[in-house]
Amino acid sequence: MIELKNVSFCYSGSVDFALKDIDIHIGRGEYVLVCGGSGSGKSTLAYLLAGLIPHFIDGELSGSVCYDGAETRSLKMADFLPRVGLVFQNSDAQLFNGSVEAEIAFGLESMGLSPGVVEERIIGAAKKLRIESLLGRSPTHLSGGEKRLVSIASVLALGPKLLVLDEPFSNLDWEGCARLKTILRELNEAGAAVVVVEQRLREIIKDVERSIVMEAGAVLFDGEPDQAKGAMKELRLLPRYRRRDMPGSPRKGSEVVSIKGLSYSRAGMEILRGVSLEIMEGEVVAVIGKNGAGKTTLIKHLNGLMRPQEGKVRIEGFAASGQSPLKMAGLVGVSFQNPNDQFFKNTVEEEIRVGLRLSGRDRPERLHEISILFGLEGLLERSPHLLSEGQKKRTAIASIFAVEPRVLVLDEPTTGQDGRFLEALEDIISRLAESGHTVIVVTHDLEFASAIADRWVMIEHGAVIKEGCGPEGIENEFFHQAA
Amino acid sequence: MSFFTRRLDPRAAISVWVLGTAAVIITARTNVLMVESGFILLAVCALGLFGKWISSLRLILPVTLFVFAVSAVFFSMAEAAFLGLRLICLLTLSFALFQKVSVEEMGESARRIGLPYGVSFILTSSMRYVPLLGERLTSIMDAQISRGIDLRPRLRNIPNFLALVIPLLIQAILLSDHLAMAMEARGFGRKERTFRKVMRIGAMDWAVMALSSVLFALFVWWELPHKLGAG
Repeated sequence: MIELKNVSFCYSGSVDFALKDIDIHIGRGEYVLVCGGSGSGKSTLAYLLAGLIPHFIDGELSGSVCYDGAETRSLKMADFLPRVGLVFQNSDAQLFNGSVEAEIAFGLESMGLSPGVVEERIIGAAKKLRIESLLGRSPTHLSGGEKRLVSIASVLALGPKLLVLDEPFSNLDWEGCARLKTILRELNEAGAAVVVVEQRLREIIKDVERSIVMEAGAVLFDGEPDQAKGAMKELRLLPRYRRRDMPGSPRKGSEVVSIKGLSYSRAGMEILRGVSLEIMEGEVVAVIGKNGAGKTTLIKHLNGLMRPQEGKVRIEGFAASGQSPLKMAGLVGVSFQNPNDQFFKNTVEEEIRVGLRLSGRDRPERLHEISILFGLEGLLERSPHLLSEGQKKRTAIASIFAVEPRVLVLDEPTTGQDGRFLEALEDIISRLAESGHTVIVVTHDLEFASAIADRWVMIEHGAVIKEGCGPEGIENEFFHQAA
Repeated sequence: MSFFTRRLDPRAAISVWVLGTAAVIITARTNVLMVESGFILLAVCALGLFGKWISSLRLILPVTLFVFAVSAVFFSMAEAAFLGLRLICLLTLSFALFQKVSVEEMGESARRIGLPYGVSFILTSSMRYVPLLGERLTSIMDAQISRGIDLRPRLRNIPNFLALVIPLLIQAILLSDHLAMAMEARGFGRKERTFRKVMRIGAMDWAVMALSSVLFALFVWWELPHKLGAG
């Protein structure tokens, strides 16, 4: 169906090749996983398969890319529709219409289909993805998981023979992942070739029939998934956690975080319902829950970004509700999901020094200590915008840690990250806990949560529904929920 | 009742808005403006928007009070009351239009009156991305405040606002780049494009447009001698 022979590609303005001597053939009805670390060329390969390279993205392309025997250079971008459909990593950019219905209709109208056929296909795609109830809604107001399903529906309605999805599992909770896996299997069984570019390998590796492992723009392995595991482990794409010792009682030093009866409502909807939680000094706690469970609202109460409508939040004895977030920054550091929200300086060093100045310890030795702790020694002179996703995340957390908070809160730190970063993050969290810091990790990555946390707390519909220690509890919970 | 609850064709709704706005703008006397305000309020009630309009006053009133205060200082109380009322009328008309006609329908109406599809689509897309960028700005603000950067509106904090502007600018540029790619991948600009939404101006739309035109002509007739006399 699509064949790449000796393909190399270098983005305009770059000196490094994003793809190097790629030879791949994807046949009809295949189900393929493309994996690799951050910056390995996976997304570039997806753009190439969808025709955006060379028709939209500038750069130097060599070798041959043929679709059904026709060289893609000789085709027009319009010729790829509806043969190939690409679901982008960033759903916000993919959803550019006023309603879900209009979103699904957009590509169909581009193809010149009659209004009757367009309506039929909208309903068909919505039924397949079980999003009929969303058709009249604006994509802007959907949850991350819903946006992902609408992105897929907008491409699926076109009836592509080849469906390429760039990190479709990122931002999805375990239920969303299970649902998406079923949908992709069904699509493949219906005859479409499906190529999934992904970092969350455990979500998909059992389903695919072929795995392509990439590293530094080259294909390192191309074959059966079982045999690919060796290459994945070698590249540390599948994280190997050391798993912290889980004592019978996870409680350590004195109480640092105390939440009592915390409730919060917005527009008549209860976001948090009587949450109570105590967290000790040096403890690592994972707050787990599905998308929309209220996790982020909970952590915004820890540093005063939100005021409790009911209940109390105390950090080291101080009422968080009575303090401004600026004052709380020295007690509680919150690293939100998107590291790009933080960067405004020219170098990594300057980003970290913003925090050091606020803590009153802007000294070279402190900068050195932090850069070693977060593995940023060789990156201090680099622009934070040009780092890999893992390096960006480490820089963001380091700049918050530089303010010297007693409590560090990490909101979905694993999203879009490769196995190498996850291992590094496990190590950083262990060292922070050993030095007496309290770490709260908000995540729906249950494997990571079970590996790093002394204790986990599960939130559903704004209430704590379960607490536990160790991986077994979480895994049981996962299988229970996924089922 | 179905007369009021039925959705107007977007082009008819836009025509009514244009006539209403023009009438308010050319009015120079408070008594005429008060009659116009009465009609606008009646239309808001007839469209079933009264409750929402009351809620929207939270946004409309502060701007109006500001204009009122400035006018009262520089002109007179009477002039300030007139300008305040005119502003409320104009904002109420726009509120009603945006409540009844989606951004998409406005774009489609613009296309049907001759604006090229590419231009009307870009215009409506940019309007849709305003709330998205607003959300991004809130996230950036939360992230920067959480790391101790003072963003309160103080003179000494002006340099700190770079911490908001730079990430937002970079994200907006990246978003527009990704958006263009996503649009291209789904055939934006293909010549054979069809449009599934059928717009038809029915008898009701003609009736509403005729009524608004008559009202507009009456207000112009009422106001014109005064305008000419003043001239």
